[in-house]
Amino acid sequence: MKCPEHIVKLMHDYLDGNTGPHEEKRLKEHLRQCSACAVHFHELTKTVAFIQYASHVPSPPDFTARVMANLPKEKKIVRVQR
Amino acid sequence: MDIFVKKRIKAIKKGDQNAYADIVDLYKDKIYRLCYRMLGNRHEAEDAAQEVFIRAYVHIDTYNPKMKFSTWLYRIATNLAIDKIRKKKPDAYLDEEINGTDGLTMYAQLSSHEASPEETIESLELKETVQKAIEKLPEKYRSVIVLKYIEDLSLQEISEILELPLGTVKTRLHRGREALRKHLGHL
Repeated sequence: MKCPEHIVKLMHDYLDGNTGPHEEKRLKEHLRQCSACAVHFHELTKTVAFIQYASHVPSPPDFTARVMANLPKEKKIVRVQR
Repeated sequence: MDIFVKKRIKAIKKGDQNAYADIVDLYKDKIYRLCYRMLGNRHEAEDAAQEVFIRAYVHIDTYNPKMKFSTWLYRIATNLAIDKIRKKKPDAYLDEEINGTDGLTMYAQLSSHEASPEETIESLELKETVQKAIEKLPEKYRSVIVLKYIEDLSLQEISEILELPLGTVKTRLHRGREALRKHLGHL
């Protein structure tokens, strides 16, 4: 079954933090009655959790030193002149 | 934190190159992570992130202090990453349909390489699956998803970084989430 578009829109608004208590109640009530929408919503929240979970990647060691070594030289000259 | 950044930028504008090291240290993880999630490989991500910081330094005079420094830096990084994605050979995107397959998308094809439930428990495997799904998103959705969920930024800030109306950011975020849901939602 295809979920009603306005409910899917409501799910995304909820995930964006753009819903008031009234809309949240409407969404919750619908999810209780409609299993297709409940699955859809569950998949969306799970997807978000997966993406957030994947977010930890520290920058390589010596990153800053490499940037500093590769900065254009001109500015250094300006500094010396001061 | 803001005062710390402002002081460093003033010093850099006066020619104190060493002050820039503090700025790089402060933002390197965020910018590297953004590049990595946008480009999908560590080597390219490191080159891109290096380039972001060098570009920011060279153009520091064009930075408007009324804007958050991170917003400006993220703008340079997303523009650079999108440029690099476009220069790579055009890949098939997830929401594009494959010829002769009645509405079947790349997602359906990908599902044959999907990790088994045992494997999804392995965090590395899951991270890779997530990364591949992100990489297959068209870049306009990818940048919004990465800024929102990897960098944890507000929709308002994303709209400033990408110089897009808030409504467009929301639409892209919704479409990006739906595209990813089709691939990750059932895991």
